[in-house]
Amino acid sequence: MRPLHALLLIALMAVAGLAAPTFAQAQLTQVPGPNSPTTKEQVPLYVPQDDKVVGRVSIPDEKLAVLVQPEGREWREWRTHTLRLAIGGLAIGMTVVLAIFFLYRGTIRIHGGKAGRLVLRFNGLDRFAHWTTAVSFLTMALTGVILTFGRSLLIPLIGHQAFTPLAEYSKSIHNFVSVPFVVGLLMIVALWLRDNIPEKADWIWIKSAGGLFSKAGHHPEAGRFNAGQKLVFWSIVLGGVVMAATGYLLMVPFAFTGIGGMQTIHVIHGLLAAALIAAVIGHIYIGTIGMEGAFDAMGSGDVDENWAMEHHRRWYQEQLRKGYVEGRQPAE
Amino acid sequence: MARMKFLCDSERCIECNACVTACKNEHEVPWGINRRRLVTLNDGKPGERSISMACMHCNDPPCAAVCPVDCFLQTADGVVLHSKDLCIGCGYCFYACPFGAPQYPRTTDFGSRGKMDKCTFCAGGPEPDGSVEEYQKYGANRLAEGKLPLCAEMCSTRALMAGDGAILADIYQERSVRRGYGSGAPGWSTAYGRNERGSPFAPGGPGTGGA
Amino acid sequence: MLVKRSSAKTAGNKRSGLVAALADTLESGVSRRGFLRRSGLAAGGIAAVGALPGAMIRKAEAGPILPNVEVVTRKNVCTHCSVGCTVIAEVQNGVWVGQEPGWESPINQGTHCAKGASVRELTKGTRRVKYPLKLVDGVWQRITWDQAIEEIGNKLLEIRQASGPDAVFWLGSAKFSNEGAYLYRKLAAFWGTNNVDHQARICHSTTVAGVANTWGYGAMTNSYNDIQNSKALLIVGGNPAEAHPVSMQHMLRGKEHNRAPFIVIDPRFTRTAAHATEYVRIRPGTDIPIAWGLLWHIFENGWEDKEYIRQRVYGMDEIRAEVKKWTPEEVERVTGVPGAQVRRVAEVIAKNKPSTVIWCMGVTQHTVGTANVRALSILQLALGNIGVAGGGANIYRGHCNVQGATDFGLDVSTLPSYYGLAEGAWKHFSRAWDVEYDYLKGRFASKELMEAKGIPTTRWFDAVLAKPGDIDQPSPLRAMMCFGHGGNTVTRMPDMVKGLEKLSLLVIADPHPTTFAAIKERRNGTYILPACSQFETDGSRTCSNRSMQWGEKVVEPIFESKDDYTIIYLLARKLGFANEMFKHITVEDTRPVPEDILREMNRSCLSIGATGQSPERLKMHMKHQADFDKITMRASSGPCAGDYYGLPWPSWGHPEIRHPGSAVLYDTSKHVMDGGGVFRARFGVERNGVSLLADGSYSKGSEIEDGYPEFTMAVLRKLGWDKDLTPDEMRVIQAIGGGGAEVDNVSWQTDLSMGIIRVALKHGCVPHGNAKARAVAWNLPDPVPIHREPIYSPRPDLVKDFPAIEDRRDFRLVQLARSLQFKVADSDLRQRFPMILTSGRLVEYEGGGEETRSNPWLAELQQSMFAEINTRDAEKLGIRDGAWVWVYGPEDGSKAKVRALVTDRVGGGTVFMPFHFSGFWQGESLRGNYPPDTDPIVLGEPANGVTTYGYDPVTFMQETKVTLCRVEPA
Repeated sequence: MRPLHALLLIALMAVAGLAAPTFAQAQLTQVPGPNSPTTKEQVPLYVPQDDKVVGRVSIPDEKLAVLVQPEGREWREWRTHTLRLAIGGLAIGMTVVLAIFFLYRGTIRIHGGKAGRLVLRFNGLDRFAHWTTAVSFLTMALTGVILTFGRSLLIPLIGHQAFTPLAEYSKSIHNFVSVPFVVGLLMIVALWLRDNIPEKADWIWIKSAGGLFSKAGHHPEAGRFNAGQKLVFWSIVLGGVVMAATGYLLMVPFAFTGIGGMQTIHVIHGLLAAALIAAVIGHIYIGTIGMEGAFDAMGSGDVDENWAMEHHRRWYQEQLRKGYVEGRQPAE
Repeated sequence: MARMKFLCDSERCIECNACVTACKNEHEVPWGINRRRLVTLNDGKPGERSISMACMHCNDPPCAAVCPVDCFLQTADGVVLHSKDLCIGCGYCFYACPFGAPQYPRTTDFGSRGKMDKCTFCAGGPEPDGSVEEYQKYGANRLAEGKLPLCAEMCSTRALMAGDGAILADIYQERSVRRGYGSGAPGWSTAYGRNERGSPFAPGGPGTGGA
Repeated sequence: MLVKRSSAKTAGNKRSGLVAALADTLESGVSRRGFLRRSGLAAGGIAAVGALPGAMIRKAEAGPILPNVEVVTRKNVCTHCSVGCTVIAEVQNGVWVGQEPGWESPINQGTHCAKGASVRELTKGTRRVKYPLKLVDGVWQRITWDQAIEEIGNKLLEIRQASGPDAVFWLGSAKFSNEGAYLYRKLAAFWGTNNVDHQARICHSTTVAGVANTWGYGAMTNSYNDIQNSKALLIVGGNPAEAHPVSMQHMLRGKEHNRAPFIVIDPRFTRTAAHATEYVRIRPGTDIPIAWGLLWHIFENGWEDKEYIRQRVYGMDEIRAEVKKWTPEEVERVTGVPGAQVRRVAEVIAKNKPSTVIWCMGVTQHTVGTANVRALSILQLALGNIGVAGGGANIYRGHCNVQGATDFGLDVSTLPSYYGLAEGAWKHFSRAWDVEYDYLKGRFASKELMEAKGIPTTRWFDAVLAKPGDIDQPSPLRAMMCFGHGGNTVTRMPDMVKGLEKLSLLVIADPHPTTFAAIKERRNGTYILPACSQFETDGSRTCSNRSMQWGEKVVEPIFESKDDYTIIYLLARKLGFANEMFKHITVEDTRPVPEDILREMNRSCLSIGATGQSPERLKMHMKHQADFDKITMRASSGPCAGDYYGLPWPSWGHPEIRHPGSAVLYDTSKHVMDGGGVFRARFGVERNGVSLLADGSYSKGSEIEDGYPEFTMAVLRKLGWDKDLTPDEMRVIQAIGGGGAEVDNVSWQTDLSMGIIRVALKHGCVPHGNAKARAVAWNLPDPVPIHREPIYSPRPDLVKDFPAIEDRRDFRLVQLARSLQFKVADSDLRQRFPMILTSGRLVEYEGGGEETRSNPWLAELQQSMFAEINTRDAEKLGIRDGAWVWVYGPEDGSKAKVRALVTDRVGGGTVFMPFHFSGFWQGESLRGNYPPDTDPIVLGEPANGVTTYGYDPVTFMQETKVTLCRVEPA
């Protein structure tokens, strides 16, 4: 089942809930009639039940009023196959694409070589925010992947006995690390939102694909963040917010929604996770082996003058003007 | 080979909740855990029917398929059991279960869940039959004593039946012929449907599907 | 891998057919070990996981059955409803550790309802009263039993001294065993008052009065099992799916096996109605119009059983005259039921015979309760359905022993076995008890009060609050001894609270503290005595079908509780008449032996044939339950061969003559020694020149092939059968007759030798004579049942056409009726209280509900008090399902705050409330008022907090089913 298909089906669940249950309906007639069975063979046992059946329960647990939810089958399909395909497929797919790209392009060098002069790109607070978000994201990605793939990949290796504590800890860590993730997320929004507002120049950057394929090292002009980085920013921010929201809803099951809602939330959480993991793989690539000098921005916080000039000319000039470039006087 | 199943004859069920309290009594099930429950459809209208529902011990149990730690097992009788030593209380089985069978003790106010608890068909768990540990984790093991689930044994109108599926089907069909109407055992197509999906029922196997 | 499964095989073979069939499949086993190996788990699990966050594995409270400790199986009977389900208890080290289905019981055949399946909890006793308590300035203090009995006794004697014995109200219980009920009645007699009552007053007193006045005995005529023989079922004002769930097993089998139409007449679409083939919704309080409406079609079409009526029914012509008024149009005008539906139902029950009529409190709890009962009885007589297997009036009694407690005289109007209160009755019992009649008379304030009906439980608080002149006894009530009775079960609770406040002494003997203990207005003079449940003592109980079952003590009374026998003995000893009262009853330490009490009952309760049920026979029945047929309830083999299960009374004569009991009352197709019978000649032999004796109808094998009067010495002499009496029997009869001409008046009822009964049976005759049933009961306020609107009628326009009875005095009190009804109809009450309020039961709870609401397994299933409101009404009032609402009653500014349950179970304009809740009062929780650790888990507003005035003239049954109310969002 394709993810979209799953979403569609789940969206349909609410509608299905309105449909009258077939077996209850069929038993309305309590008196023998012309269609009464005369032999045992005529009595149906397996009457297909494709709609959700909801009734009334006296216990104060509304979710138990759902008698039958065949949608569980769709969710099972999602959980056992689609989710794994999505996460595994996107992550592996992205890695493969990047590998090919790396073979083609190699590390993008600083065209003019290192100037040796440094420009402060991210201060301590910036970097703290980034790494808080990054580490918690990676932790959650890893624990999530353990829970998703552990049964197939780890149990055969380490056995049930060892895997259960691993899964138990993974679950706890996954839940608790969401807190620093959200903190980091809020910080980067506060720190970088201003510089990530889309502008006209981004269009040019996108049209030339950021100069990624230009072996001549021709990079379109960009401010503090280029369109690619803005894309990552918005993906992480918007995706992270939705991930956090759905994640917390999953941590308080049935507090705000019924079984269909919980399944939908889980699907959204899973699909977004797959997309974000893929996006982050790309982000990591470009920030490390993909581009010379890029890691320094989040490593030491200082970048080489030439790197800054090539990739973020407008921002570089601004820094220059403000006198933030090491060894150069502010321009008049 | 017996294939243990539940059948709730909704023509007989009167929502008396005997099955529910019998279950509570036999297994000392704590407050808030509803291994079995009564659902009334079309409440207050002609055609109103009540159905007693618990784990149906499906042919191809979805709970087992989605369990991230593979804690389920299906016995040779088709009874779906699980190991509370392995369970991590993730709640996935509840999303997959068509019948809302899995239950979780609430361990903190923050909604975190304890280990899953569900109907065991009065067959305990993976521990040695009739052991104290088995009782404490899963409740009594009547099957080992040659008895059937107490809910069905005590059902006031013999609506809820438990036992070999073929015999239950026979009783149900005979009843339906006698009364002149009958239209399917609730939940049977979902739990034991002939057109089941996934891997076929594998006696004694661990969780099916997924792995 | 297949360990242990094979050992299961032998156990399985003894079980039900289904299990037996499965047993051979079990040996194949479960491959648990394989799973364990595969998962790498050692048995016992990994300790490490237990330490993880969130790793909670529940710990069971009671362990499983311990290995290597002997398991004793004991048989008792469920303590909830009157079906009488066998409970099998597994006991280890004196602790009740497991409950198993009682497959062999012919009644429940292993099954239970929610309550029966949870009775084990009762002996765990977490919320039970654990020791005697005394209320001192609003604080509960623990006291000893000695102190409690001493103080209570002294206070009682002081009240007796000052105000006479009638100032004490002895409220007994349908939860007593038969022996307990009998003993409590005897206690009241020795104390010297008829102010002794129990729950039958508020459930089926009108049934007992109605049917006893129609055909002789106040009980279900057939049995639950016998319904399987019915070809049509008519259930009126009853919801067995919730109130008697196990009976539904027999009803649904009847419905399925015979394809019997299953008709439910009820204002509410109940869980029972869900299984009906036809559901008739009537306006609450219109049972007589619907009964007459059915009979109108039956008479109109000649569907009645004319020969049966000629032979066995007196006065049917007067009924015809009344029924003529109830044309389909008139029935529709009053009841709201379409004419075509009434005709359809009439045709179905007339043409599918035998048809049975089943009724419950929807019929009895009305200001016209007795008349309702009589109307349905007459319907069955017209169809010739009484005394027929598959027919009958199957009246489902309420509590587990309400039939027995009624039979053994826990009643303001009679001594045990319905002997009444006349001098002859007292003399009979003074002989049976071996005390002087004058001694008993000396215990009472006067001979008049000794023979006057006492104050019923529906009005005890009126008797507390009564001004002199309003009460026909020397003093208002000053003390109440309340054994096993909830405080929220009678209507008009605001008045009840005032009465409670004024009592100088209130004693509650109960396993649970009851509502009485939580009323905050009382701060002193209340005692709670921990009485144990029937699982902690032994004794017999009578189910609705009159079968008596012996319950075996499962465990010793828990904590400091004592059984009813012991408490009664301790009180009698303190009050100074234990020696007289227990003259022929062995008392071990301070506990009277129940077997001995039953033997005394067997010797004295001749009139209902409660004489053959010796403890030995009852115990034998319990032991050999498997020998009894599951439909006829008769044993065909074994030591009980020929007996009906539980010897349903009448089981005539000495146990030695082995009368089998009577499964179907008044059944002429059987010999009297096979349980056959005829209508009882209770009301003389003729009236206004018309014979009241049966005409050409008699039970099989009767030597008198016609009607005959009840047997007395005179009748025996006339027939020449007195020669059959043995010299010993003659000696007893002579002694009773006092030698002279009085000997002729010694009857089968007073002959303690039971010689007259023996001789009658020998000639195939029924001792009580062979009469016609009375369609006209001239001694009742309405000899022919006529419709009367409820006091708080929702149809003021009909009040003038169908007025209530005239105001009157009875049961030592004033009864308002017509004056109040007219006042209500003429006021604007109907505008201010536009909805009808009715009440009823839930399956999870029972009676006042304290016991069941204290049981977590049950309490979890119904966690809040609610009022059912129709979907359209709720929409109009802006009430969501589950929201809080106020229900206002029309008297005393009464109100209750409950949750709304929006449902179409109730019709438009009707509100339904279950009556099992208490512990809240007008929005305020009373939890803190209960003694510590005894407050029930679930509390709620009592429905009777808003119910109103209205009493049946014959029994003072309360009106719980029709009053007015207003619902507002809270």
